[in-house]
Amino acid sequence: METLSLYVDRDSPVHRVDPISKLLYILAATAIPIILPSLLTAAVVLAISVALLLLGRTFRRVIPLISVIVFVLLTILIIQGLFRAGNVTPLFQLGSLIFYREGLLYAVRISLRVINIMLAFAILILTTKPSDLFETLVRKGLSPRIGYVLSSVLQIIPQMQNTVGTITDAQRSRGMETEGSLAVRLRAFIPLIGPVVMSSLTQTRERSIALEVRGFSAKGKKSFLNEEIQEPYHRFIRWGLLLSIILALVWRVAA
Amino acid sequence: MKREGMWSLKLSTAALVLIPVAIGINYIGKFFAELLRLPLWLDSIGTALASMLAGPIVGALSGAINNIIYGLTVSPISFVYAITSVAIGLTVGIMAYKGWISNLWKAIVMGLVVGLVAAVVSTPINIGFWGGQTGNVWGDALYAFLLAHNYPVWLASFLDEIVVDIPDKVATIVVAFAIFKGLPKGLISLFGGGKEIEKL
Repeated sequence: METLSLYVDRDSPVHRVDPISKLLYILAATAIPIILPSLLTAAVVLAISVALLLLGRTFRRVIPLISVIVFVLLTILIIQGLFRAGNVTPLFQLGSLIFYREGLLYAVRISLRVINIMLAFAILILTTKPSDLFETLVRKGLSPRIGYVLSSVLQIIPQMQNTVGTITDAQRSRGMETEGSLAVRLRAFIPLIGPVVMSSLTQTRERSIALEVRGFSAKGKKSFLNEEIQEPYHRFIRWGLLLSIILALVWRVAA
Repeated sequence: MKREGMWSLKLSTAALVLIPVAIGINYIGKFFAELLRLPLWLDSIGTALASMLAGPIVGALSGAINNIIYGLTVSPISFVYAITSVAIGLTVGIMAYKGWISNLWKAIVMGLVVGLVAAVVSTPINIGFWGGQTGNVWGDALYAFLLAHNYPVWLASFLDEIVVDIPDKVATIVVAFAIFKGLPKGLISLFGGGKEIEKL
């Protein structure tokens, strides 16, 4: 079945690491640069994330993810470099615009933080099948009903996108205008979204009956489709990540 | 029609099945807004609709799961804005329960409140992540102007967010309201109101 995901199917050591360790990596990559707020820490975390993405042979897929935010980061660089309160040291001048050192440094720091978080998430997203992630979470105690909701979203969206195509064509063939002034385009919104919403909401009734018939609300232990894969080094990675956060905290308090 | 309390954590199967559909509607709202090149996001219509149909808990869950899924499939940065989506779900759910969807004018007031709540919740996130910007051209131009005139960052950032959020959320709630009013009664009772009428 068609599902929505950024997962890249490769065989790499990063792919074989369990989802919980990757979640902990996100925590560590976010928390450590906040606990130790120097440019060096951020750069080290960045280097580790890039190395892991290269090891997972998914680095090229990160570029489109990052390029979305690069524009925003550039505007931050410009706005903070020009106007940040506390700007005193001029760095360089473009025409009549003066860029200041403090604002630019602040912008670089923000950009590094955002990129770090993006990359840490990218490791999880690109190297983990969403269904595996949800199954692991359910094993760790997430309600199986919520687990079902999570995986069904990934299947419903492509289905609804197909309906969208049909309805857009149908409305256009009836002469609805989707180009033109803002008022024309605004008016087109309801006739486009309305039918998709109505039909998907009507389908929920059948879907919930179908689920009930199959014992969705049944009490008792649920079983899993796949065997749980446990490698001894998984535990090692998890403890290592937790330890690194604790060490960063100790460093911060001691220094 | 007697309902279970607004904060009931007993989620019926129908209410759970509503969540993925709500998230799908969010996606499609955003898709059409981009297709029609509207200057709005319109990416929380589903969350608002789920809150109107099944209450604040389901609305908040839809909001949170929406951003988790969006983060997993489109842009990881959306994870941190899950808090905003939860706030939107809760606000719509509570206000709808209190009767703010009985007519269009009340729905517009609800849209204003939701926009305000969303801006209040998003501003600290924007300051923490982006130094206060939102990534929206008009909002950010205002932000740069205010910053250049020595306004504090939090105020500039809040105004940056609110000029985008208020029109967007009013439009979102009005669309959700229009759809809600057009739904067959039997369907509405399936999700929340109808404990007495139909139970799955």
